[in-house]
Amino acid sequence: MPAQAKDLFNDAIDNELLNEASQLRELLSLALSPSKLELLMRDNCVLCHTDPEAQDPETLFWTDPEAVGSPPHLNLREVVRDVHFRRGLSCSGCHGGTPTDEDMADEIYDRWPEAPERHADRTWIPDFCARCHSDPAFMRRFDPSLATDQYAKYRESLHGKLLLEQADSKAAQCVSCHGVHGIRDSKSPRSPVHPRNVPYTCGACHADADYMKGYKDAAGDPLPTNQLEEFETSVHGRALLERGDTGAPACNDCHGNHAAMPPEIASIGQVCRTCHSGNGELFEGSKHKKAFERNGWPECEKCHGNHAIARTDDSMLNEKSNPLCYECHRENAEDNPDCIRTAEYFYASISTLATEQKSLAEQVHQLAEKGLDVEPLAATVDDMEDTLRQSRSLIHAFDRSEFEKIEKRGHEAARQGWEQVEAAEGEYRFRLTGLRVAIGFMILLSVALYLKIREMEART
Amino acid sequence: MSTARADKRLYRWIDERYGVSPLIEFLRHKEVPLGAHPLFWYFLGGTTLFFFAVQIVSGVLLLVYYQPGENTSYESIRYITTKVPFGWLVRSVHCWSAHLMIVSLVVHMLSTMMLKAYRPPRELTWLTGFLLFNLALGFGFSGYLLPWNELAFFATAVGTDSVKSVPVVGNWLLQVMRGGPDVTINTVYRFFALHICILPILTVGLITVHLIFIQRQGMAPPIAKHVAPRGMRFFPNFALRDLLWWILCLAALLVLALLLPYGPGIPGVEWELGQKADPLAPAYPGIKPEWYFLWIYQLLKEFPPHLFGLEGPQVCLAVVSLLMTTWALVPWLDRKARRDEPSPAFTDFGVGAMLFITFLMLKAWDIGAGAVADGGFPDPAAVARPCAWILLAVAVAVTAVRIAVYRDRWFVFSGAAVLHAVLHGLVGLPYLAAGAIAAAAAALATGFTVARGRTSAMPAGGGH
Repeated sequence: MPAQAKDLFNDAIDNELLNEASQLRELLSLALSPSKLELLMRDNCVLCHTDPEAQDPETLFWTDPEAVGSPPHLNLREVVRDVHFRRGLSCSGCHGGTPTDEDMADEIYDRWPEAPERHADRTWIPDFCARCHSDPAFMRRFDPSLATDQYAKYRESLHGKLLLEQADSKAAQCVSCHGVHGIRDSKSPRSPVHPRNVPYTCGACHADADYMKGYKDAAGDPLPTNQLEEFETSVHGRALLERGDTGAPACNDCHGNHAAMPPEIASIGQVCRTCHSGNGELFEGSKHKKAFERNGWPECEKCHGNHAIARTDDSMLNEKSNPLCYECHRENAEDNPDCIRTAEYFYASISTLATEQKSLAEQVHQLAEKGLDVEPLAATVDDMEDTLRQSRSLIHAFDRSEFEKIEKRGHEAARQGWEQVEAAEGEYRFRLTGLRVAIGFMILLSVALYLKIREMEART
Repeated sequence: MSTARADKRLYRWIDERYGVSPLIEFLRHKEVPLGAHPLFWYFLGGTTLFFFAVQIVSGVLLLVYYQPGENTSYESIRYITTKVPFGWLVRSVHCWSAHLMIVSLVVHMLSTMMLKAYRPPRELTWLTGFLLFNLALGFGFSGYLLPWNELAFFATAVGTDSVKSVPVVGNWLLQVMRGGPDVTINTVYRFFALHICILPILTVGLITVHLIFIQRQGMAPPIAKHVAPRGMRFFPNFALRDLLWWILCLAALLVLALLLPYGPGIPGVEWELGQKADPLAPAYPGIKPEWYFLWIYQLLKEFPPHLFGLEGPQVCLAVVSLLMTTWALVPWLDRKARRDEPSPAFTDFGVGAMLFITFLMLKAWDIGAGAVADGGFPDPAAVARPCAWILLAVAVAVTAVRIAVYRDRWFVFSGAAVLHAVLHGLVGLPYLAAGAIAAAAAALATGFTVARGRTSAMPAGGGH
């Protein structure tokens, strides 16, 4: 143990703040760096509240709270990993008093409501956190890059309105999402607000039917509680939760975080455009845009859904597997049969290109196994893949003109690909013919040699 | 009539200047022994030589376009196989011929072992053959890296790493081989020089010595106890047969090169170019060396990190060195064969060594492992079990042939190899523990056999 750390422990023993062997073991088991250990050992709050003789279980910090009957938030191991503690703020930073106080300061009682009262009424929490987090000058000392508008946004959010205006303490506030005593940086994978954990943090309330009972949406319907379940099966959910791709959106990427609210119909398309800007632009200039506005339909959501967005595939354009376009058009665009024909055309074109691309990709594999040069063909297949990607995007313009250009490029690439296949197969036929001729010649030579040997040995 | 006269005049002209008559006379009287063994066994040396000649010709053709270098090694091989007319054929022939040369060399060496052709006065012929075998392995190892592709890079990194285990000079040797602490393009330059210059010079020199020995001493006749040999004239009778066989080998080589241009698809016998080597990329699982190094690769995996106070790979290297040295010294160790008597123990030593190596190769191929998750490793017990069963089946078949055809009655070493596989694969003992038990059993059985042989050889009345 470094000499400085020894001195700290000796001081604590001399000051009768470190009295128990179990208390010493708890503190040492944290295996802190010298600077963190100093911060901890110079904090009388910690020393006193880790003394099992001096504290009741309700106020005793322990590395395994369950073992001593303490509440989970008094986990000492979590406290020392708290983002505030790591930046030098310990108990008194929030609770009041100073780290050198030998007794509970009056300020602590003044600042904190009694336990039953503060647990029943959570309206005080946002304001309490905002004392520091809304103060740019103060926050600059710790993390200049951290925003200080969370409280302002929160007040405008649905959560904020419920809590602050209607005093509904069930509404989410800072602690509901960030936790307490073990608050981590949002970049930490263990933080409840890390992108991969956000769906479960939100789901803790929003997927609980009992908890959400009584809450209604703008139309007055009960709020659904299947969002998490749907999200887990969606293309976004699988990317985020199964593959760990933090580029995929979590709840807050569409709904906001401190300003959380459901995107209204008018803003849904904008939310999707944050990532899918190309398709958004195409939709913007399409005939659908006006029709959707006229009918008050949400743009992307109308076809793709929201929380349960499935991976798109070409069958979405096929009437048999997905009657979406057709039903909608029969109902709302009876006088425009060309719409149906356009959808059919898109489906037929993309299917043809996809089939061609798949067949050519198989050819690359088969010809490579024969030892043929497949580099040009592989480049053509890549070109077709690119064409397909573009054509699938271009259907969002719901117009043939641009699509036809790409389709033409795709067919041209396919034609070139099949020519390359034919050339490669011709080369292979040439090789086989050469082999047959060479083998035939060798067999003839072998037979001649064999006859010569027989004739020679028969003579002798 | 006039052509024959012109031929004679030409021959006389050459003979007057270079004295070729004794050589012609020698060839006229050179014979291949007949009678005790099938003639096939005498073709194998020539077959190996034929494949070596193919290697030289195809290698020179590859050299026309191959350029060693960071940005050229991989690219030039790619260019050869895709753009150069018949370049694909030359590379494929070079690769197939390399493997077939090793196969033919191994079979040639085994036939020499089984027929005891190494016995005096041909000890040095065996020794030069053994050295040629090592040079062939050197060709394989050095040539593997030259395409500078992913597989070659990682296999060479693993292969050269084992050199570290050599006591005292291991690290120095590793640096010399790699041209630095890691496998880099400097390693390619070294291996290239080795592959196209140093090894060919050594090999041609040793082949010359090997052939001179054979020409001076003639081909080994069967052991005295067998049928007295008749002879077949080497020239032209045997030489024409050799030529016929080489033509068939060339035909087989062309068929394989065209129909399976990247090898038969067995790990260790494949040469698809794949991706260019990237020293910064992580090694992927399932990298295996070429098939003739697989047994050493697997043996290294069987050793724990530390054994008897030494590093596991060091002990493994000692075992491999002991086995190879014993193999090289067989002509001096086989005292019965030196007396021109049958030596069944050494026949069985050869079979036992092959079974030992076969079991390791089967394990290295992960036979019976089934589907393994990406990045995962197969369950060792699930691999060892089917390998042991296969080895058991092979051993039963080989033993049946040995008993029925060759009347062999000595099975101590092959029995130990089978016991080793059974104890490890079927009973579930660790590989080394099973090996130790099998080795102890073989030592006991050998001691017992030797003691019994001495007792039965002792004169009945106590003797003088």
